[in-house]
Amino acid sequence: MITVDRSKCIYCGACVGVCPKLALKLKNDVRVECDSAKCIRCLACTKACPCAAISDQ
Amino acid sequence: MFSKTDYDVVIVGSGPCGSAAGMAAAKAGASVLILERKKDIGSPCRCGEGIGQHWVDEFEMKIADKCISSKINGAALYAPNNKTELVVKNKESKGYVLNRKVFDLWLAEQAGREGAEISVKSEVLDVTKDGGRVSGVVVERDGKQERITSKVLIAADGGESTIARMAGINSTAALYDTDFGLEYEMVNVPCKDLIEIYFTNKYAPRGYVWIFPKGKDTANVGVGIGGHCKPYAKKYLDAWIKEVGGERLKHAQPMAMKGGIIPVGAPMKDLVLDGFMVAGTAAHQVDPIHGGGISLAMDAGYIAGKVAGKCSKSGKCEKSALSEYERTWRQTREAKLLKRLLLRKVLEQLNDEDLNAIFQIIDTHGVENLLTGDYAPVAKDIIAKRPQFIKVLGALLK
Repeated sequence: MITVDRSKCIYCGACVGVCPKLALKLKNDVRVECDSAKCIRCLACTKACPCAAISDQ
Repeated sequence: MFSKTDYDVVIVGSGPCGSAAGMAAAKAGASVLILERKKDIGSPCRCGEGIGQHWVDEFEMKIADKCISSKINGAALYAPNNKTELVVKNKESKGYVLNRKVFDLWLAEQAGREGAEISVKSEVLDVTKDGGRVSGVVVERDGKQERITSKVLIAADGGESTIARMAGINSTAALYDTDFGLEYEMVNVPCKDLIEIYFTNKYAPRGYVWIFPKGKDTANVGVGIGGHCKPYAKKYLDAWIKEVGGERLKHAQPMAMKGGIIPVGAPMKDLVLDGFMVAGTAAHQVDPIHGGGISLAMDAGYIAGKVAGKCSKSGKCEKSALSEYERTWRQTREAKLLKRLLLRKVLEQLNDEDLNAIFQIIDTHGVENLLTGDYAPVAKDIIAKRPQFIKVLGALLK
Protein backbone atom coordinates (compact mmCIF):
# COMPACT_ATOMS: atom_id res chain seq x y z
CA MET A 1 0.00 0.00 0.00
CA ILE A 2 1.22 3.47 -0.87
CA THR A 3 1.78 5.60 2.20
CA VAL A 4 2.77 9.23 2.43
CA ASP A 5 4.95 10.54 5.23
CA ARG A 6 3.40 13.88 6.01
CA SER A 7 6.51 14.99 7.87
CA LYS A 8 8.29 14.92 4.51
CA CYS A 9 5.55 15.77 1.99
CA ILE A 10 5.46 19.34 0.70
CA TYR A 11 2.24 18.85 -1.32
CA CYS A 12 3.90 19.64 -4.63
CA GLY A 13 1.76 17.23 -6.65
CA ALA A 14 4.60 15.47 -8.46
CA CYS A 15 3.19 12.07 -7.47
CA VAL A 16 -0.25 13.01 -8.76
CA GLY A 17 1.20 13.98 -12.13
CA VAL A 18 2.93 10.66 -12.74
CA CYS A 19 0.20 8.35 -11.45
CA PRO A 20 -1.08 6.52 -14.54
CA LYS A 21 -4.35 5.52 -12.86
CA LEU A 22 -5.34 8.83 -11.26
CA ALA A 23 -5.22 6.97 -7.96
CA LEU A 24 -3.52 9.83 -6.14
CA LYS A 25 -5.20 13.08 -5.20
CA LEU A 26 -3.84 16.20 -3.58
CA LYS A 27 -6.97 16.55 -1.51
CA ASN A 28 -7.76 20.17 -0.64
CA ASP A 29 -4.11 20.87 -1.39
CA VAL A 30 -3.08 19.69 2.07
CA ARG A 31 -3.07 15.91 1.91
CA VAL A 32 -2.07 13.27 -0.62
CA GLU A 33 -4.63 10.50 -0.75
CA CYS A 34 -4.22 7.18 -2.53
CA ASP A 35 -7.23 5.23 -3.72
CA SER A 36 -5.95 1.70 -3.17
CA ALA A 37 -8.67 0.28 -5.45
CA LYS A 38 -7.17 2.22 -8.38
CA CYS A 39 -3.48 1.89 -7.44
CA ILE A 40 -1.53 -0.70 -9.45
CA ARG A 41 1.63 -0.29 -7.36
CA CYS A 42 3.74 0.80 -10.32
CA LEU A 43 5.65 2.99 -7.85
CA ALA A 44 6.06 5.89 -10.29
CA CYS A 45 5.02 8.15 -7.40
CA THR A 46 7.84 6.92 -5.17
CA LYS A 47 10.33 7.71 -7.94
CA ALA A 48 8.85 11.13 -8.65
CA CYS A 49 8.68 12.44 -5.10
CA PRO A 50 11.41 15.08 -4.63
CA CYS A 51 11.37 14.50 -0.87
CA ALA A 52 11.21 10.69 -0.64
CA ALA A 53 7.93 11.04 1.22
CA ILE A 54 6.16 8.13 -0.49
CA SER A 55 6.77 4.47 0.17
CA ASP A 56 5.12 1.16 -0.59
CA GLN A 57 4.46 -0.71 2.60
CA MET B 1 -22.14 33.09 -3.16
CA PHE B 2 -22.37 31.10 -6.37
CA SER B 3 -25.80 30.39 -7.78
CA LYS B 4 -24.93 30.08 -11.45
CA THR B 5 -24.00 26.59 -12.65
CA ASP B 6 -23.66 27.04 -16.41
CA TYR B 7 -20.90 28.98 -18.10
CA ASP B 8 -19.58 29.48 -21.58
CA VAL B 9 -16.02 28.78 -20.45
CA VAL B 10 -14.88 26.98 -17.31
CA ILE B 11 -11.17 27.03 -16.49
CA VAL B 12 -9.52 24.72 -13.97
CA GLY B 13 -6.54 26.39 -12.33
CA SER B 14 -5.73 30.01 -11.58
CA GLY B 15 -2.02 30.08 -12.34
CA PRO B 16 -0.63 32.25 -15.14
CA CYS B 17 -2.29 30.02 -17.76
CA GLY B 18 -5.74 29.95 -16.18
CA SER B 19 -5.83 33.66 -15.46
CA ALA B 20 -4.63 34.56 -18.97
CA ALA B 21 -7.29 32.25 -20.41
CA GLY B 22 -9.95 33.77 -18.14
CA MET B 23 -8.95 37.26 -19.16
CA ALA B 24 -9.07 36.49 -22.87
CA ALA B 25 -12.34 34.54 -22.76
CA ALA B 26 -14.07 37.24 -20.70
CA LYS B 27 -12.79 39.90 -23.10
CA ALA B 28 -14.36 37.92 -25.95
CA GLY B 29 -17.71 38.28 -24.20
CA ALA B 30 -18.00 34.80 -22.71
CA SER B 31 -19.29 34.03 -19.22
CA VAL B 32 -16.25 32.60 -17.43
CA LEU B 33 -15.64 30.64 -14.26
CA ILE B 34 -12.12 29.95 -12.94
CA LEU B 35 -11.94 27.11 -10.42
CA GLU B 36 -9.02 27.02 -7.99
CA ARG B 37 -8.48 24.14 -5.59
CA LYS B 38 -6.37 26.12 -3.16
CA LYS B 39 -7.68 28.64 -0.68
CA ASP B 40 -5.14 31.25 -1.81
CA ILE B 41 -4.28 32.00 -5.41
CA GLY B 42 -0.52 31.86 -6.00
CA SER B 43 0.27 30.01 -2.81
CA PRO B 44 2.06 27.74 -2.17
CA CYS B 45 4.45 28.63 -4.96
CA ARG B 46 6.10 25.74 -6.82
CA CYS B 47 8.46 27.62 -9.03
CA GLY B 48 11.87 29.19 -9.56
CA GLU B 49 9.95 32.37 -10.48
CA GLY B 50 12.17 33.56 -13.35
CA ILE B 51 10.78 35.26 -16.47
CA GLY B 52 12.82 36.43 -19.47
CA GLN B 53 12.82 40.02 -20.68
CA HIS B 54 12.06 38.92 -24.24
CA TRP B 55 8.68 37.58 -23.10
CA VAL B 56 7.80 40.73 -21.21
CA ASP B 57 8.66 42.70 -24.35
CA GLU B 58 6.69 40.40 -26.60
CA PHE B 59 3.59 40.52 -24.39
CA GLU B 60 4.00 44.32 -24.06
CA MET B 61 3.28 43.61 -20.42
CA LYS B 62 3.86 46.21 -17.71
CA ILE B 63 4.39 43.95 -14.71
CA ALA B 64 3.37 45.77 -11.52
CA ASP B 65 6.41 46.57 -9.36
CA LYS B 66 4.94 44.66 -6.44
CA CYS B 67 5.19 41.41 -8.45
CA ILE B 68 8.93 41.74 -9.02
CA SER B 69 11.40 40.45 -6.45
CA SER B 70 14.51 41.40 -8.40
CA LYS B 71 15.70 42.54 -11.77
CA ILE B 72 18.11 40.17 -13.51
CA ASN B 73 20.89 41.37 -15.75
CA GLY B 74 22.02 38.04 -17.19
CA ALA B 75 22.91 34.46 -16.45
CA ALA B 76 26.12 32.95 -15.14
CA LEU B 77 26.70 29.35 -16.19
CA TYR B 78 29.13 27.14 -14.34
CA ALA B 79 31.00 24.04 -15.43
CA PRO B 80 30.81 20.98 -13.16
CA ASN B 81 34.31 21.69 -11.81
CA ASN B 82 33.27 25.28 -11.08
CA LYS B 83 36.46 26.45 -12.76
CA THR B 84 34.75 28.01 -15.76
CA GLU B 85 32.11 30.69 -15.57
CA LEU B 86 30.31 31.97 -18.66
CA VAL B 87 28.21 35.10 -18.26
CA VAL B 88 25.49 35.68 -20.82
CA LYS B 89 23.63 38.94 -21.04
CA ASN B 90 21.08 38.65 -23.82
CA LYS B 91 17.32 39.15 -23.97
CA GLU B 92 16.63 35.62 -22.87
CA SER B 93 18.92 35.64 -19.85
CA LYS B 94 17.91 39.12 -18.70
CA GLY B 95 14.60 39.51 -16.97
CA TYR B 96 13.03 39.25 -13.56
CA VAL B 97 12.66 36.96 -10.61
CA LEU B 98 9.02 37.35 -9.71
CA ASN B 99 7.17 37.00 -6.47
CA ARG B 100 4.76 34.39 -7.79
CA LYS B 101 2.34 34.73 -4.89
CA VAL B 102 1.83 38.39 -5.78
CA PHE B 103 2.16 37.91 -9.54
CA ASP B 104 -0.45 35.14 -9.76
CA LEU B 105 -2.85 37.16 -7.66
CA TRP B 106 -2.22 40.22 -9.82
CA LEU B 107 -3.03 38.24 -12.96
CA ALA B 108 -6.16 36.72 -11.42
CA GLU B 109 -7.33 40.20 -10.40
CA GLN B 110 -7.12 41.25 -14.02
CA ALA B 111 -9.18 38.25 -15.10
CA GLY B 112 -11.70 39.17 -12.41
CA ARG B 113 -11.82 42.77 -13.63
CA GLU B 114 -12.56 41.56 -17.14
CA GLY B 115 -15.60 39.82 -15.70
CA ALA B 116 -14.37 36.27 -15.01
CA GLU B 117 -15.84 34.72 -11.88
CA ILE B 118 -13.24 33.13 -9.61
CA SER B 119 -14.00 30.37 -7.14
CA VAL B 120 -11.24 29.39 -4.70
CA LYS B 121 -11.24 26.30 -2.50
CA SER B 122 -13.10 24.51 -5.26
CA GLU B 123 -11.81 21.07 -6.09
CA VAL B 124 -12.71 19.38 -9.36
CA LEU B 125 -13.58 15.74 -8.73
CA ASP B 126 -14.47 14.73 -12.27
CA VAL B 127 -15.04 15.86 -15.83
CA THR B 128 -18.53 15.24 -17.26
CA LYS B 129 -19.33 14.29 -20.83
CA ASP B 130 -22.44 14.48 -22.90
CA GLY B 131 -22.50 12.22 -25.96
CA GLY B 132 -18.71 12.20 -26.17
CA ARG B 133 -18.41 15.95 -25.79
CA VAL B 134 -16.84 17.37 -22.63
CA SER B 135 -19.72 19.18 -20.93
CA GLY B 136 -18.42 20.38 -17.59
CA VAL B 137 -17.09 19.34 -14.20
CA VAL B 138 -18.18 18.01 -10.85
CA VAL B 139 -16.78 20.34 -8.27
CA GLU B 140 -16.61 20.10 -4.51
CA ARG B 141 -16.87 23.36 -2.60
CA ASP B 142 -18.30 24.55 0.63
CA GLY B 143 -19.28 21.03 1.69
CA LYS B 144 -21.27 20.28 -1.45
CA GLN B 145 -20.73 18.54 -4.76
CA GLU B 146 -22.09 20.43 -7.73
CA ARG B 147 -22.28 19.91 -11.46
CA ILE B 148 -21.15 22.88 -13.49
CA THR B 149 -21.63 22.89 -17.23
CA SER B 150 -19.37 24.48 -19.79
CA LYS B 151 -19.41 24.99 -23.52
CA VAL B 152 -15.63 24.87 -23.35
CA LEU B 153 -13.61 23.47 -20.45
CA ILE B 154 -9.97 24.56 -20.24
CA ALA B 155 -7.54 22.47 -18.19
CA ALA B 156 -4.89 24.82 -16.82
CA ASP B 157 -4.05 22.71 -13.82
CA GLY B 158 -0.28 22.65 -14.15
CA GLY B 159 2.16 19.76 -13.92
CA GLU B 160 -0.23 17.49 -12.06
CA SER B 161 -2.64 17.71 -14.98
CA THR B 162 -5.41 15.42 -13.82
CA ILE B 163 -8.15 17.23 -15.69
CA ALA B 164 -6.95 16.38 -19.20
CA ARG B 165 -6.74 12.75 -18.16
CA MET B 166 -10.25 12.85 -16.73
CA ALA B 167 -11.35 14.29 -20.08
CA GLY B 168 -9.73 11.40 -21.94
CA ILE B 169 -6.35 12.70 -23.09
CA ASN B 170 -3.50 10.55 -21.88
CA SER B 171 -1.23 13.21 -20.45
CA THR B 172 0.42 11.12 -17.74
CA ALA B 173 3.97 12.37 -17.42
CA ALA B 174 6.54 9.74 -18.44
CA LEU B 175 9.35 9.71 -15.89
CA TYR B 176 12.06 10.07 -18.54
CA ASP B 177 10.45 13.19 -19.98
CA THR B 178 9.85 14.79 -16.62
CA ASP B 179 12.12 16.60 -14.20
CA PHE B 180 11.41 16.84 -10.51
CA GLY B 181 12.45 19.93 -8.66
CA LEU B 182 13.06 20.97 -5.11
CA GLU B 183 13.89 24.48 -4.08
CA TYR B 184 14.54 26.46 -0.93
CA GLU B 185 13.86 30.15 -0.72
CA MET B 186 16.81 31.24 1.41
CA VAL B 187 18.19 34.22 3.29
CA ASN B 188 21.91 34.93 3.79
CA VAL B 189 22.74 34.07 0.19
CA PRO B 190 24.97 36.88 -1.12
CA CYS B 191 23.74 37.58 -4.66
CA LYS B 192 24.55 39.66 -7.67
CA ASP B 193 22.02 40.54 -10.33
CA LEU B 194 22.66 37.34 -12.26
CA ILE B 195 20.82 34.05 -12.19
CA GLU B 196 23.28 31.23 -11.65
CA ILE B 197 23.08 27.88 -13.39
CA TYR B 198 25.33 25.03 -12.29
CA PHE B 199 25.77 22.10 -14.63
CA THR B 200 26.61 19.01 -12.65
CA ASN B 201 25.65 15.42 -13.18
CA LYS B 202 26.97 14.67 -9.74
CA TYR B 203 24.44 16.91 -7.99
CA ALA B 204 21.79 17.40 -10.66
CA PRO B 205 21.66 14.46 -13.08
CA ARG B 206 19.88 15.50 -16.33
CA GLY B 207 19.11 18.87 -14.74
CA TYR B 208 20.92 21.72 -13.08
CA VAL B 209 21.28 23.53 -9.79
CA TRP B 210 20.09 27.13 -9.79
CA ILE B 211 20.39 30.22 -7.68
CA PHE B 212 17.80 32.83 -8.64
CA PRO B 213 18.34 36.02 -6.62
CA LYS B 214 15.24 37.49 -5.03
CA GLY B 215 17.18 40.34 -3.43
CA LYS B 216 20.71 41.23 -2.28
CA ASP B 217 20.86 38.34 0.17
CA THR B 218 17.79 36.23 -0.64
CA ALA B 219 17.42 33.67 -3.40
CA ASN B 220 15.66 30.61 -4.66
CA VAL B 221 18.20 27.81 -4.50
CA GLY B 222 16.99 24.72 -6.26
CA VAL B 223 17.68 21.59 -8.19
CA GLY B 224 15.92 19.75 -10.97
CA ILE B 225 16.75 16.13 -11.73
CA GLY B 226 15.56 13.72 -14.41
CA GLY B 227 12.63 11.55 -13.40
CA HIS B 228 14.62 8.39 -14.08
CA CYS B 229 17.43 9.48 -11.74
CA LYS B 230 17.71 8.15 -8.23
CA PRO B 231 17.37 8.79 -5.38
CA TYR B 232 15.47 12.10 -4.99
CA ALA B 233 15.83 15.83 -5.54
CA LYS B 234 16.06 16.96 -1.92
CA LYS B 235 19.03 14.70 -1.25
CA TYR B 236 20.92 16.23 -4.19
CA LEU B 237 20.10 19.78 -3.21
CA ASP B 238 21.09 19.34 0.42
CA ALA B 239 24.37 17.76 -0.68
CA TRP B 240 25.09 20.56 -3.15
CA ILE B 241 24.40 23.30 -0.62
CA LYS B 242 26.73 21.67 1.87
CA GLU B 243 29.51 20.47 -0.43
CA VAL B 244 29.54 23.07 -3.22
CA GLY B 245 27.76 26.02 -1.61
CA GLY B 246 30.50 25.98 1.03
CA GLU B 247 31.43 29.30 2.64
CA ARG B 248 28.95 31.28 0.59
CA LEU B 249 25.94 29.32 1.78
CA LYS B 250 27.24 28.58 5.26
CA HIS B 251 24.73 30.89 6.90
CA ALA B 252 21.90 30.37 4.39
CA GLN B 253 18.56 29.59 6.00
CA PRO B 254 15.55 28.15 4.22
CA MET B 255 12.38 30.19 4.57
CA ALA B 256 10.30 28.06 2.26
CA MET B 257 10.49 24.65 0.61
CA LYS B 258 8.98 24.34 -2.83
CA GLY B 259 8.78 21.42 -5.14
CA GLY B 260 7.20 20.33 -8.33
CA ILE B 261 6.94 18.41 -11.50
CA ILE B 262 8.38 19.83 -14.71
CA PRO B 263 7.45 18.24 -18.04
CA VAL B 264 10.54 18.61 -20.24
CA GLY B 265 9.52 16.41 -23.16
CA ALA B 266 7.53 17.37 -26.24
CA PRO B 267 4.26 19.31 -25.93
CA MET B 268 1.24 17.03 -25.81
CA LYS B 269 -0.01 15.53 -29.07
CA ASP B 270 -3.63 16.52 -28.53
CA LEU B 271 -4.52 19.88 -27.09
CA VAL B 272 -8.24 19.89 -27.88
CA LEU B 273 -11.27 17.62 -27.78
CA ASP B 274 -14.93 18.42 -28.38
CA GLY B 275 -15.66 21.09 -25.76
CA PHE B 276 -12.20 20.84 -24.23
CA MET B 277 -8.74 22.41 -24.28
CA VAL B 278 -5.59 21.84 -22.29
CA ALA B 279 -2.95 24.55 -21.95
CA GLY B 280 0.21 25.56 -20.12
CA THR B 281 2.29 23.19 -18.03
CA ALA B 282 -0.69 20.80 -18.05
CA ALA B 283 -0.14 20.55 -21.84
CA HIS B 284 3.64 20.16 -21.36
CA GLN B 285 4.17 23.58 -22.93
CA VAL B 286 7.41 24.00 -21.06
CA ASP B 287 10.94 24.83 -22.21
CA PRO B 288 12.81 21.48 -22.25
CA ILE B 289 16.16 23.14 -21.56
CA HIS B 290 15.53 25.30 -18.53
CA GLY B 291 12.12 24.01 -17.49
CA GLY B 292 10.60 27.50 -17.51
CA GLY B 293 6.87 27.66 -18.10
CA ILE B 294 5.38 30.92 -16.79
CA SER B 295 5.44 32.81 -20.07
CA LEU B 296 4.60 29.84 -22.26
CA ALA B 297 1.63 29.18 -19.99
CA MET B 298 0.38 32.76 -20.21
CA ASP B 299 0.82 32.77 -23.96
CA ALA B 300 -0.98 29.46 -24.52
CA GLY B 301 -3.65 30.34 -21.95
CA TYR B 302 -4.37 33.60 -23.70
CA ILE B 303 -4.72 31.96 -27.11
CA ALA B 304 -6.89 29.18 -25.66
CA GLY B 305 -9.12 31.62 -23.80
CA LYS B 306 -9.55 33.84 -26.83
CA VAL B 307 -10.56 30.94 -29.08
CA ALA B 308 -12.75 29.40 -26.36
CA GLY B 309 -14.52 32.71 -25.80
CA LYS B 310 -15.16 33.19 -29.50
CA CYS B 311 -16.30 29.60 -30.11
CA SER B 312 -18.60 29.54 -27.09
CA LYS B 313 -20.32 32.69 -28.34
CA SER B 314 -20.78 31.26 -31.83
CA GLY B 315 -21.95 27.90 -30.42
CA LYS B 316 -19.31 25.99 -32.39
CA CYS B 317 -17.34 24.18 -29.72
CA GLU B 318 -16.43 20.94 -31.43
CA LYS B 319 -12.82 19.88 -31.77
CA SER B 320 -12.47 21.25 -35.31
CA ALA B 321 -13.45 24.75 -34.19
CA LEU B 322 -11.37 24.71 -31.00
CA SER B 323 -8.34 23.46 -32.89
CA GLU B 324 -7.72 27.06 -33.97
CA TYR B 325 -6.00 27.33 -30.57
CA GLU B 326 -3.85 24.27 -31.20
CA ARG B 327 -2.92 25.41 -34.72
CA THR B 328 -2.04 28.94 -33.64
CA TRP B 329 0.00 27.74 -30.70
CA ARG B 330 1.93 25.12 -32.66
CA GLN B 331 2.66 27.58 -35.48
CA THR B 332 4.06 30.20 -33.14
CA ARG B 333 5.80 28.20 -30.41
CA GLU B 334 6.23 24.52 -31.04
CA ALA B 335 9.19 24.54 -33.42
CA LYS B 336 11.39 26.33 -30.90
CA LEU B 337 10.44 23.94 -28.10
CA LEU B 338 11.15 20.89 -30.24
CA LYS B 339 14.50 22.33 -31.20
CA ARG B 340 15.26 22.83 -27.52
CA LEU B 341 14.21 19.26 -26.85
CA LEU B 342 16.84 18.10 -29.31
CA LEU B 343 19.45 20.12 -27.40
CA ARG B 344 18.27 18.62 -24.11
CA LYS B 345 18.64 15.13 -25.48
CA VAL B 346 22.19 15.90 -26.58
CA LEU B 347 23.23 17.61 -23.36
CA GLU B 348 21.95 14.78 -21.20
CA GLN B 349 24.42 12.40 -22.85
CA LEU B 350 27.40 14.40 -21.64
CA ASN B 351 29.11 13.50 -18.39
CA ASP B 352 30.80 16.02 -16.10
CA GLU B 353 34.18 15.53 -17.71
CA ASP B 354 32.68 16.22 -21.15
CA LEU B 355 30.96 19.32 -19.84
CA ASN B 356 34.17 20.61 -18.26
CA ALA B 357 35.93 20.19 -21.61
CA ILE B 358 33.13 21.93 -23.51
CA PHE B 359 33.12 24.85 -21.09
CA GLN B 360 36.81 25.29 -21.94
CA ILE B 361 35.97 25.57 -25.62
CA ILE B 362 32.80 27.60 -25.92
CA ASP B 363 32.51 31.26 -25.09
CA THR B 364 29.64 33.59 -24.26
CA HIS B 365 28.84 34.00 -27.92
CA GLY B 366 28.56 30.21 -28.27
CA VAL B 367 26.09 30.02 -25.41
CA GLU B 368 24.04 32.79 -27.01
CA ASN B 369 23.99 30.81 -30.24
CA LEU B 370 22.77 27.74 -28.38
CA LEU B 371 20.03 29.78 -26.75
CA THR B 372 18.87 31.21 -30.06
CA GLY B 373 18.88 27.77 -31.68
CA ASP B 374 21.93 28.26 -33.90
CA TYR B 375 23.53 24.98 -32.85
CA ALA B 376 25.67 24.03 -35.84
CA PRO B 377 28.51 26.60 -35.53
CA VAL B 378 28.90 25.81 -31.82
CA ALA B 379 28.93 22.06 -32.39
CA LYS B 380 31.45 22.52 -35.25
CA ASP B 381 33.76 24.54 -33.00
CA ILE B 382 33.72 21.93 -30.29
CA ILE B 383 34.17 18.99 -32.66
CA ALA B 384 37.08 20.76 -34.39
CA LYS B 385 38.90 20.87 -31.07
CA ARG B 386 37.66 17.60 -29.61
CA PRO B 387 36.75 15.24 -32.46
CA GLN B 388 35.50 12.58 -30.04
CA PHE B 389 32.40 14.69 -29.42
CA ILE B 390 31.12 14.13 -32.95
CA LYS B 391 29.22 11.07 -31.78
CA VAL B 392 27.06 13.05 -29.38
CA LEU B 393 27.13 16.55 -30.88
CA GLY B 394 26.68 15.33 -34.46
CA ALA B 395 22.93 15.63 -33.95
CA LEU B 396 23.35 19.40 -33.65
CA LEU B 397 25.11 19.79 -37.00
CA LYS B 398 21.97 19.40 -39.08
